[in-house]
Amino acid sequence: MNKFVAIVAASIVASTAQAQETVVWWDFLAGGDGVRMKQMISDFNAEHEGEIVIDGTTLEWGVPFYTKVQTSVAVGEAPDVMTYHASRIPLGVQQNLLQELTADDFAAMGLGEDDFAPSIWDSVTADGAQYGVPLDTHPIVLYYNKDILAEAGLLTEDGVPMGLDSREGFTETLQTLKESDAVNFPLASVTADGNFMFRTIYSLMGQQDGELMTDGEFLAGDNPAKLENALSVLQEWTNEGLQSTYTDYPATVALFTNGEAAMMINGVWEVPTMIDLQENGNLFEWGAVELPVIFDRPATYSDSHVFAIPEGNDMTEEKRAAVLEVMSWMSKNSLFWATAGHIPANSNITAMDEYQSMEPNATYSSLTANMIYDPKTPMAGVAGPMFDVMSTYFVPTLNGEMDPAEAVEEIVLELNDM
Amino acid sequence: MLRNTKKEWLIGYILVAPFVAIYGLIFVYPTIDMFLLSFQDAPLIGAGTYVGVDNYTRLPSDRRFDTAFWNTVYFVVLTVIPGTFVALGIAMGVTRLSGRIQSLVLALFFLPYILPVSVVYRIWDWTMNFQFGIAMHVLDTLGIDRVPVFQTSTWFMPAVAFVTIWWTCGFSVLLFLAGLRAIPQDIYEAASLDNTSGWRTFRHITWPLLWPITALVLTIQLILQLKIFDQVYLFSQGGRPNDNLVMVYYIFQRAFVNNQGGRAAAIAVVLFIMVIIIAALNFQLMRMSERRK
Repeated sequence: MNKFVAIVAASIVASTAQAQETVVWWDFLAGGDGVRMKQMISDFNAEHEGEIVIDGTTLEWGVPFYTKVQTSVAVGEAPDVMTYHASRIPLGVQQNLLQELTADDFAAMGLGEDDFAPSIWDSVTADGAQYGVPLDTHPIVLYYNKDILAEAGLLTEDGVPMGLDSREGFTETLQTLKESDAVNFPLASVTADGNFMFRTIYSLMGQQDGELMTDGEFLAGDNPAKLENALSVLQEWTNEGLQSTYTDYPATVALFTNGEAAMMINGVWEVPTMIDLQENGNLFEWGAVELPVIFDRPATYSDSHVFAIPEGNDMTEEKRAAVLEVMSWMSKNSLFWATAGHIPANSNITAMDEYQSMEPNATYSSLTANMIYDPKTPMAGVAGPMFDVMSTYFVPTLNGEMDPAEAVEEIVLELNDM
Repeated sequence: MLRNTKKEWLIGYILVAPFVAIYGLIFVYPTIDMFLLSFQDAPLIGAGTYVGVDNYTRLPSDRRFDTAFWNTVYFVVLTVIPGTFVALGIAMGVTRLSGRIQSLVLALFFLPYILPVSVVYRIWDWTMNFQFGIAMHVLDTLGIDRVPVFQTSTWFMPAVAFVTIWWTCGFSVLLFLAGLRAIPQDIYEAASLDNTSGWRTFRHITWPLLWPITALVLTIQLILQLKIFDQVYLFSQGGRPNDNLVMVYYIFQRAFVNNQGGRAAAIAVVLFIMVIIIAALNFQLMRMSERRK
């Protein structure tokens, strides 16, 4: 018997000595940032040749991705590592989809709490345990067409749009653009997609210190009024003809990049789109800044891409070590990820001189001090239930079909009914 | 020759066994399971707790269920009978043509039917997109205000119904054509000898003789359109899905977005019963109207 054990043990040792670990990887990064992630994967594979190879698959963002994760965990066919949204971690933990990453795991990765901003570390924490390695934080920003704004005399000496400090100031900038007749729309907004607009509207709530959830209750106290304020501003822009109406996501990007709209509020993940277009000589001079301060203080909604290990995955110790190496390498090499517009979560990277001179990231990275995240509840998260309820009432309100007060009333009712 | 009936029975059982086994495994068992699931507070995957008829009793006051139910009914009204008549009209026209022209025209009407739904969605999005759709530029030239077809609840269902009829009527046209060809020509000849008008020929010869086909097309359409999902899902992407919910979409949403397997199952059971009742009712009506002739 002992002999048998010895043989088995020897063969395991022998096989791990030569065998190359294949790490099955799923992500939902299909845009310009997906191209950069594929580059990072192939760099990783080149550097770990003969030891670890990442077998990556890109799936459809949103509900399709998260549904697939859920079903694959249930039938034991989950990948070894996957990208995840920090905002969905509470839901993922409730659904038993995520493996906890222990202090030992973090030690093995050479990473820890000190390497991340407190808000980012907190976003991967549920009940005191960590469930992911943050890769980045990806807020929304204000993109602007420098050529058009310069012509309308709306650029400050620093080359950023005027009127970013108040509601009146920003509305005036939009009005001036409208009167200049240089563009069809001063601002391109994803007004046909309530899911997207959640980001802008929640940012505007944050600018009034509003909260979506207080002690387990949705929109408690004066928060409905703050939501109504946020919706009213956006509806006013629609009524005054200052932003595009009934515009879906691809059309919004198109309106901005072909010069029909002077500004656009969108995620930093569109930065590579702009960089690539400009490299090919197909884009004007452009910039991106922190969202204007419409209310009391600057605030921007943000989420994080994190790496997580799914549950129901009987990994060998060697495989798990390989997965940890993958996550660790990605975090430590996330300077390149910043070229996708994202702000790396690893603060050693953002402290590098190379990062601090990187544009447009350097211009908008001031916003990291003002980031707000989703409330920590299984109802939250991209493409989650809360997103879904609110988005229903955003579209009619933003396009002037529904009164903001009525929308807020319905939202409160439906959220608390979940 | 002596027949070994016992052996014949045995062979019979063996031959149907694979079918029965597969049918049981992938249809009967899941169906039973769905009924059981609908009485539980269960996630999409995994065990749930028994909650009695809670999942059903909450439906009447569930606003999304209300939306989904009435949207489905609305969609059926907009597509089933209009779609059948459009197909009949096209078939009547095509049958008057002959030779290569007939084949060409038939092919043109049938073409949309072979497209996958995603392609159908792309084509109509290019046409109707509020910012970049071709049709919007036509409206601009005519000086008419642009219409956000797939972004307002007023226009959404009629537009999707229109697209669905455009997409699927090719198949019904084929059925009608086969039916028209099966009507003996001498009946028409006799009618024309009696100098019967076109309308009377249609009313008293074509319509009654075509009735079995019409009934078939209506039944197929009815069951198909009650289960509408794909088009509604695609056209509401990046729009306002919750105002455009239909029954199957709502099941999908409860199960896959909200992770509420039990509530999703209850809605599925309601749809299942709806389809059975309507199909049975439809079948009876067809039989009654046939007997009257």
